[in-house]
Amino acid sequence: QISHAMDGQSRKHRILMVSDFFFPNFGGVESHIYYLSQCLLKLGHKVVVMTHAYGKRSGVRYVTGGLKVYYVPWRPFLMQNTLPTLFMTFPIIRTILIRERISVVHGHQAFSTLCHEALMHARTMGYKVVFTDHSLYGFADVGSIHMNKVLQFTLADIDQAICVSHTSKENTVLRSGISPDKVFMVPNAVDTAMFTPSSNRLSCDEIIIVVISRLVYRKGADLLVEVIPEVCRLFPKVRFIVGGDGPKRVRLEEMREKFSLQDRVEMLGAVPHAQVRSVLISGHIFLNSSLTEAFCIAILEAASCGLLTVSTRVGGVPEVLPDDMIVLAEPDPEDMVRAVRQAIDILPGIDPQIMHRRMKKLYSWDDVAKRTEIVYDRAMQSSNTNLLDRLPRYLTCGAWAGKLFCLVMIINYLVWCLLEFLQPAEGIEEVPDIGPLHIHSDSVDDQCEAQRN
Amino acid sequence: MVQEQKGETSSGMYTYKHHGDKGVDIHEIFVKKSRTRVLLSYCGLILLLAIVCRSLLGKEKLCLESVWSVTFGILVAKCLQYKPVKKESVVIMPSFGVQLEIHFWSGRVDRHFVPIGKILKPLLNECVTPVTCYWSLALLLRDEEELKLVFQKFRPPVKMLVPIWRALCAFTDSECTSRHSTVSKPNRSEA
Repeated sequence: QISHAMDGQSRKHRILMVSDFFFPNFGGVESHIYYLSQCLLKLGHKVVVMTHAYGKRSGVRYVTGGLKVYYVPWRPFLMQNTLPTLFMTFPIIRTILIRERISVVHGHQAFSTLCHEALMHARTMGYKVVFTDHSLYGFADVGSIHMNKVLQFTLADIDQAICVSHTSKENTVLRSGISPDKVFMVPNAVDTAMFTPSSNRLSCDEIIIVVISRLVYRKGADLLVEVIPEVCRLFPKVRFIVGGDGPKRVRLEEMREKFSLQDRVEMLGAVPHAQVRSVLISGHIFLNSSLTEAFCIAILEAASCGLLTVSTRVGGVPEVLPDDMIVLAEPDPEDMVRAVRQAIDILPGIDPQIMHRRMKKLYSWDDVAKRTEIVYDRAMQSSNTNLLDRLPRYLTCGAWAGKLFCLVMIINYLVWCLLEFLQPAEGIEEVPDIGPLHIHSDSVDDQCEAQRN
Repeated sequence: MVQEQKGETSSGMYTYKHHGDKGVDIHEIFVKKSRTRVLLSYCGLILLLAIVCRSLLGKEKLCLESVWSVTFGILVAKCLQYKPVKKESVVIMPSFGVQLEIHFWSGRVDRHFVPIGKILKPLLNECVTPVTCYWSLALLLRDEEELKLVFQKFRPPVKMLVPIWRALCAFTDSECTSRHSTVSKPNRSEA
């Protein structure tokens, strides 16, 4: 058992991260994939990312650390998602898997069509597949029912799954019917080197509450409209800074006009990711009013900058921060005002530097990468099964759905056979591994020096 | 004609030949003629001929339907058209530049000369299409936004592109250093 564990530790994986959501988009999933890939590269694994093209950004790009990204020229059709074509993405995915000598395919986000298609094709070809779910979804509305069915299909034959919180794990297991043994809980983390508190401590004469989020229904923008005027009325020395944009911004602007809060509430509009820290360190308290959240990286970023957090008690939020760093409230305006009052009372006792140091110990992307590595090792140990043994797993998905999924997998297998005939795997050339880019930049500088001399 | 044979490799339908001729470095890639494509192109032409004959010799007058069918026949014939390329070659002429040639089986030759001053760097590029990913050799040119593909018609394997890329790099580097040494000489003579 020990020798097996040692083998698992020393084995390096070649991972393909697939998602519709990646840089140059900014968001939770995007930064998760980016930071996880960087830390896995540091651990010595080979990581390649595959996503769809963003405008003119198409083809192969290398980002920091030699991370290779394939921007496949498939147009997004709805909310950054690639058009779901079922089988037409098979040729490019097969080519990338063979030329990069991939061993594990890791898909991200249930809402990404490219992820589901890539996992289906990788499974047909016999690769090990891992899936990470980043969001919570409902059960009752039409969109959720459809999404859950697609998720059931993907997770029916997955090697391992990862969820970002225990609540998210419960949600995923209930939605997809996957066995809980296959689901690991690996939380997100925060880049504590980037999110540091201000060196000068802010004075407590005026208390500034910061809100940075997309102003949409799901993020509780309607709650903000109720909470902000009440807090401003009860606490004269409180000011608000609201960063972010979205369809609900209009409601917040109307609220400002209605209660004459132009000097108490500052609207910044969309805040570029690079400037989030400078906005955070200008405040004392961070207010999060999300109606649903699997994890919430935003409150991690705020805590890393030394802000006390007030948040709604939804989803995985209670699991994220220790009790002395966060004040929780029900998603109800009165309870949220009560929580803000409590936060203002305990604010003098908060030391941003101590909070930041605690966050450094609690969360790090290196830890997330090591835990994900264990998941990959476990996935590699699962046995290889052929198509006939795998088909019964899909039959459990439903009376009609099960048979439909089996048919889809059989057609997928036939498409694979056709591709093997038209373009044999031996004809696809393997790509040589290019080392970390900083080594090459040193040698280029030396060459320039020599030429100048 | 003194030809110096430097190497030859074959892979699938492509054959790579490298030889020198009076100080000039020539890299050639040959491709086997595809009989299926030739057959299909003849089928396209026969179809077009049949449609035109039917339209002209038929008892009905020329109407919109016959125009559409002739247009369709032209499109099909154009799609199936096969102008077979015999070889594509890269001729490296020291101190002058690089000549890119496309030789067709019909005897026609398309030539394009790139002077040495125009070439910034030769690149091995990974191209991604919606269905596949392949390597291509291209030249980065001064004052031009687009890359110049060295092989316009073929997609040879990367192991054939690497020696050509190395030769082009050596060519551009040697021209660079000779230009730097000619620039620095007047300073030394002044000193």
